This record gives sequence, structure tokens and C-alpha cells, in this order.
Amino acid sequence: MSQALAASPAAGTDTPVPAASGARQFWRRLRTQRAALVAAAVVALLVLVALAAPLLTALEGQDPTTYHPSLVDSARGGVPIGSLGGASADHWLGVEPQTGRDLFARLVYGARVSLGVALAATVIQVAIGVAVGVGSALGNRWVDQLLSRATDIIVALPLMVMSLALLAIVPSSFPRPVLVTLVIGLIAWGNIAKIVRAQTLALKDLDYVSAARLSGWGVLRIARRELLPGLAAPVITYAALLVPTNISAEAALSFLGVGVKPPTPSWGQMLTAADVWYQAAPQYLLLPAGALFVTVLALTVLGDGVRTALDPRAASRLRIGTGRKNEGADSATDKPVHGHKDTGPNSDDRGATA
Amino acid sequence: MRQPSVSARRVAAASVTLVVAAGVAACGPKDTGAKAAGGDSQPHKDGTLSVLNAQPQQDFDPARLYTSGGGNVPSLVFRTLTTRNRENGSAGAKVVPDLATDTGRPSKDATVWTYTLKKGLTYEDGTPITSADIKYGIERSFAPELSGGAPYLRDWLVGAADYQGPYKDKKGLDAIETPDSRTIVFHLNKPEGEFPYLATQTQFTPVPKSKDTGTKYEEHPISSGPYKVVKNENDGEHLVLERNPHWSAATDSERKAYPDTIDVRSGLDSSVINQRLSASQGADAAAVTTDTNLGPAELAKVTGDKDLAARVGTGHFGYTNYIAFNPTVKPFDNVKVRQAISYAIDRSSVVNAAGGSALAEPATTFLPDQKSFGYTPYDLFPAGRAGDPAKARELLKQAGYGKGLTVTLTHSNSKDFETSPEIATAIQDALKKAGITVKLQGLEDNDYSDKIHTVKTEPGFFLAHWGADWPSGGPFLAPIFDGRQIVEDGANFNTGLLNDKSVNNEIDAINKLTDLDAAAERWGALDKKIGEQALTVPLFHPVYKRLYGKDVKNIVISDWTGVLDISQVAVK
Repeated sequence: MSQALAASPAAGTDTPVPAASGARQFWRRLRTQRAALVAAAVVALLVLVALAAPLLTALEGQDPTTYHPSLVDSARGGVPIGSLGGASADHWLGVEPQTGRDLFARLVYGARVSLGVALAATVIQVAIGVAVGVGSALGNRWVDQLLSRATDIIVALPLMVMSLALLAIVPSSFPRPVLVTLVIGLIAWGNIAKIVRAQTLALKDLDYVSAARLSGWGVLRIARRELLPGLAAPVITYAALLVPTNISAEAALSFLGVGVKPPTPSWGQMLTAADVWYQAAPQYLLLPAGALFVTVLALTVLGDGVRTALDPRAASRLRIGTGRKNEGADSATDKPVHGHKDTGPNSDDRGATA
Repeated sequence: MRQPSVSARRVAAASVTLVVAAGVAACGPKDTGAKAAGGDSQPHKDGTLSVLNAQPQQDFDPARLYTSGGGNVPSLVFRTLTTRNRENGSAGAKVVPDLATDTGRPSKDATVWTYTLKKGLTYEDGTPITSADIKYGIERSFAPELSGGAPYLRDWLVGAADYQGPYKDKKGLDAIETPDSRTIVFHLNKPEGEFPYLATQTQFTPVPKSKDTGTKYEEHPISSGPYKVVKNENDGEHLVLERNPHWSAATDSERKAYPDTIDVRSGLDSSVINQRLSASQGADAAAVTTDTNLGPAELAKVTGDKDLAARVGTGHFGYTNYIAFNPTVKPFDNVKVRQAISYAIDRSSVVNAAGGSALAEPATTFLPDQKSFGYTPYDLFPAGRAGDPAKARELLKQAGYGKGLTVTLTHSNSKDFETSPEIATAIQDALKKAGITVKLQGLEDNDYSDKIHTVKTEPGFFLAHWGADWPSGGPFLAPIFDGRQIVEDGANFNTGLLNDKSVNNEIDAINKLTDLDAAAERWGALDKKIGEQALTVPLFHPVYKRLYGKDVKNIVISDWTGVLDISQVAVK
């Protein structure tokens, strides 16, 4: 996130946004929010765990797909033998009922799918959202109408129903994680496009943009050099909040049986298999549920913190550890580009009528 | 014969849903089953038996029902020429007389079967049951609007192939003669020693022509059994059966009919059914289910609960889950590859995936492990409990796949723990040890069923299952291995595309036998002989575990149906 902001000075010396100091300000504000820092640490840890999954499972001496029939009690429906779901020095978090597959290995490999799909889908959503939003704000009336109505349609589509339909018709030979990423990424970009369009409409009439236009710059150059830096705050903020939404979407799709295919583990898929075992082998359900909970909570708190740091005035009402007492001082030093109200993910396209 | 019986498939479908539950259940001592329950007090006539089911009884017309042995609830209302005997376990797989005085008198070559009705048989309104009514009942099952029954009658009766039922063709079927009101004669186009088994199906129920209302008949079918239908709401979702005063135990030695009223509620979630049966409160104390099994998690939960464990009935239905090969698809054309996979299978992990040893028994034979099927134990490619990957590798090497092999296993995406991803991944893991990389191809249910039963699209390596229409080797082996039953256009069940003259001839020879015990023995031997070709890898036979309420007595679970027989239970 800091990269996007730090990139703006290089983008053009004539930008009115003193981005370097913006980045510094951002960090200063973020540092005052302890909850956001903890959340950032948790997210970093999760990403690390996901990246190091093969390493961690090698350390444990297990893998996510090997069956261990001897570790489950076949006569009792395949419940893991031993207390705590069969947790032992060999199987740190116990084993899966019926199969005896290692739960720690499945959990950390599951993190790869859950986080990977969510992050990649977010990138797709942001890319499409920004392109459509900026295009719509800068294009002529027809372009704007076309793109805005397309956005409306996309926003109106129910994500789950559409995903289920799409996933059902694609041949099973297509790699599933990629497919799930594409489906989530290509369906849920509507809100970010609306936010970007509104923000762009507000920005494009500001003096520095007008100046750039009068000096004969093309639309693309203006968009890149003058508008994108100003869009960074709302886009980053919204993206940070999209990630947990996407994680939930992947989990829900896997839960419904159209996500990644077995034997590839994902948290959503683990939840599906585990729901009947909540009494007989509770840890089987609690592990993926807890992992999902922690991840979504951490990302949401972090997203909220980022929003507060980027634009304190548009901060959410949640105010989780936002250090409210500093807010007045911060906003007083705010640059105009951060001053627009319609920057939160919950904003509508009021700017469109401006 | 063309497909696993509806009852079998329903059972399977139900066992799916129930796994989605957890809250409940019972178990503990492994096989409580039949004997544990009845206990001290004698059964008495009285009370209301509740039946809690997942699947509604949408068809209640005897022409449309596809049952094994006349069904469970339907058998309370419909009597048939013969019926299944209601005994526990393997003793309960025999065909016995019902409306008829015996199980049928065959001609010398078993192509003509003659039955005589008992004296004094009447319907619920007191009118006498005649042989002409049975003929009419069979004829109307040929009407396209009343389709749904098993295809045997059309295949077996002389001149019945294109018959369209009595509504269109008033003349009726010449293949069925009724020389007098108590005699009925069937003319078959080939020897069928197992005709008495077929005569247990509800198509052999008498239907009085004057009361036939066509497709509406199922709303109030005329009872010949101990109960009559007094209520049928929401297309079979709620049925109320009350005593038929004209039924006489003197002519019916099989149905006990203890409760005064039977109340069938369906459309319930299987977890709810198991919760209610385990709580067993109020009216649920006198409740049973005829379609919902306990799932693995439910079994695990209640292991320690003695009270619940004592209320679990255990049953075996003739059913086999297996891997099927299509030998026209490479590399499965090579018998060594098929044998290698047979050796590599880890049946303990497959059994666990199916719910553990309490819910599935490892299978090495295609025929179910019951005497009536002619079960002949064999293990031609002994894989032990955990598979023999070394032997598999050796065979693969001989077949020219020493460097490993990659194959695709087709399965369904249902949640039935039969052809579902859980079983497929267990196989995938086992074959990995033998150097076989298995790619999984999961298909939606209908797509899967279409693909595996169409010769042109049949995959090379897939999961399948087969259930018995009656407890004999005939309906188990013939549809799958009789070369003349390969259907090029349409639903084909001979998935191994086996057309072996000696096999075909032996099937014909056994069909001529009217001594069912002798026939069973020959079916068992034939099963072993076919097994040598390794066209299938038998995986497991399912076991049914079902809860019943505290007040339910006289539990009888036969090997014919594998489920508690509600014609036997008492609630007082």
C-alpha cells in the first residue's frame, strides 16, 4: 500500500499531492492504531504461513493428502482415536475423521487457497473497477452511460447465484482455484467502479487537473499522472476490505461444493466436511472456522485502520483502536485530495451528479 | 433390473442427507439390531406407529411402485401373489406365498407359471379378490401414464413388449390367463426360475377394474392388506393408514399388524429424523424410520450411550459399491492394469470413507455377502486390508507401465458416500503408493449417471454401485454381465461391455432352474468366474444402522430389505 503512495512523486513533479509526506503521514497515523498494527502482524503471519506451507508440513513430517486409516476408529464412524482429535507429536492439530489426514497440513495448505484466491480476486476487482470507473468518469456521455449501466447490472447480480451458475457450466478440467478466482474477480467489481467514478468526477474539475488539461495533456496521461494518485486512498481502503469479503466468498463456494476440488484442501471445503462432526470431533470444525474468523477479522480491522490513516474524516464508525483523539489534528493537516467525503467503500455515487 | 431398485436408490439418497446431521444418534455395542429390542414384554395390538421419513411416498399406485419385495409401507396396503418372508437376518430372504396358496407351480421348463388364490380373500370393502383383478393390476402397469415399475414383466411375458395397457388395448394380455376366479397362469417367452421373486412386486397386487381411477387411483388405492389409506396429503407427504376390517390374519401369515394406526410423515430433514428418534419423546417414542440411516458422525457421537445403542437396528441389503472398468478405453484394455488396480486398493481407507466398519463391510466379491445371492467367497487379487502396492507395481511393469501410470477416475459430486468425492480421494491415495497417479473427474449427478450408462461416453475408470431387486444372483449379475443386455443406444448397465458366450449360456441355464437354492449356488460360481476378468473392483457392501423409538417392539430386519419391517413392529 505504501508503494502506491510512494510511487506518486515519481509519477510527476507537478502533482499537487505531496505524496512523500502523505506516506509519512499515513504511517504515522497507522502507527497510532494498535489494533490495526496487531491485525497487520496477524495478516503478515498468515501470509507467511501460507507461503511456507510445504516447509511447515515438512517440519511436521506430514502432507495434506496421505490417508492414515489406523488413526481413526473405524467402528465408530471413523472418529479420530485419542483425545483432542488425535493430536500428537506427529499430528500437531490431530487428524481428520474418516480419513486420518493431517489437519495441520490441511489447514496451512488450505490457507494458500483461501488467501491466494482472495488476494488474486481482489487484484482483478481493483483493476476492472478502476478501469471502468475512470473510463466512465472521463468518457463522453455515451461511454459513461454504457459503463455505468454495466456497473449497475454487475452490482445487482447476486454473487453466489452467479458464481454457482458459472462454476457449474465450466468443464471440470479447468483448474479450479484459477476458476474460482476469476469468477469472484469478474463478478464483484461493481462497487469499486462506482467509488472510483464518483471520486474521479470530483477530482477532474479541480484546478490542477484543469491546468493539466489546458496544457494539452491527453486523457490517458491525465488519468495516470493526475487522477490515479488521488484515487489511491479510496481504492486501497476499499481493496483492504474486499479481501475478507473474497475470503468468505471462496469459503462459501467451497462450502457449497463448487470451489476447489478434493483432495486440495481449502478452509471452506474443510468446513463443509466438518459440519456434521461438530459434536463427535469438534476440533475438526473449530480449526478452519477459527482460521477463517481470525483472518477475516484481522483483514477487516486492518482495512479499517488503513482507511482511517489515509482519510481520517471518512473513517468508519467502527473506530476500532483508531486513536480518535488525534483525529482533529490529523485532519487539519490533510491535503485537499484526501478531503472528499465519498471515499469509503460505503459511499454511493453521489459524485456522479456533481 | 435396468437399475438399482428405487428403494435401494432411495435408501442411498437418504443415507446422504443423514450424514449432514450430527446432533444425534445411537450406537455402541456393534450389532444390537433385532434381538436387543423386542425384549421382555410381548407385542400387543394397539396404538399408533409413527413413521418419520425423508422421502415422501409420492407414488402410491401399485403399478408405479418400484420396490424390492413389495416395499415397506406399500406392503401394508397391497398384498401380492407371493411376498418376502419377514424374518431376521439371512433367514429373511425367502419368497413365500401371500395371496396365492404356494409360490407358484412352474411348467417343466419354467416358462409357464400357475398360481391359485387362497379362499376367502376380500378387499377393504368386503368384495372378493379374484384372479382377474390381479391380471388387470398387471396390465395397467403397462400403461404409459402408470409407468415406473421394474421392466421385467415387459421383458418376460409373451407378446408384452409393445403392450400399452388396458386403457388403450381393452383386449388385455394373452400371456396371462385366468381360467377361473382363483387361478392365474403366466406364459413367459423364456425360462425364468425366479418368477416367484418377481411376483412379490406391487404390480402383482389385485386392482378391481370398477374402482380403477387411472392416475388418481393412488389417492385411494383399494386395500387388500391389513391397513387401508384414510389420508394422503401433499402427494404422499402425510399418510394415515388405519385397520382394514376385512383383512384376516387367517389368510396372511406374514403381516403382524400390531398398531391400530400408522402415521407416515415425510419430507423431514434426516438430521431431524435422527434427533427426534434419539429424543424419543411423546409420539416419537412409538416412531420408526423406513428411509434414514445413521451417519458416521452420528454413530461416533453416541458410542457411549447405552440407551441409544440399544435402539439401533442393523440391517444388510443386497448392495455392492465397486470400481468399474471400461475395457475399450486404454489402458484398461490391459487386464494386468485392471489387476494392478485391484491389488492396490486400500479397502480400510475406502471403508472409512464410506462411514467406517459399522456402516460398510469390505467386499472382494461382486455378489453381496449373503447366502440367498449364492455368495461364494473369493479374493482373486488379494489386497489385504491396506492394499498390496508392491504386487501392483510388478503387474504394471509387466504391462509396460514400469515408470508409472496416470489415469482419470470418474465419480459423482453427490454426497452419498458411495460414488462421491470422499471415496474417490481414498482410492486416489491408495493408488499413489503403487505409482498410479489418479486424476479425479467429478461430475454432477445426472451428468455422471448419463455418462457411465451410455456406451459412447462411458469413461474407462469410474465408481459405481448396484442394488438387488430381489435377493438372488440373477438381478445382480445378468444386467451387468449378460452380453445380450448391452444397450448401444440408451441406458446400458453392462459397463464392462462383457459379451462372453460361456457367461451368457450359464445365465440362461441358471434361469431354467426352479430350485432357487441350486440356482443360488450356480450364481455364486458364475460370480467368481466373471471376477477373474477383473472388470470390476468390488469395494464394500453398505450396512444400515437405524434408530427407533423407545416403545417400539418386535423389531424384524431381514436381509431382503435390510431395514426394519413395519408390518412386524408393535408399539404396545
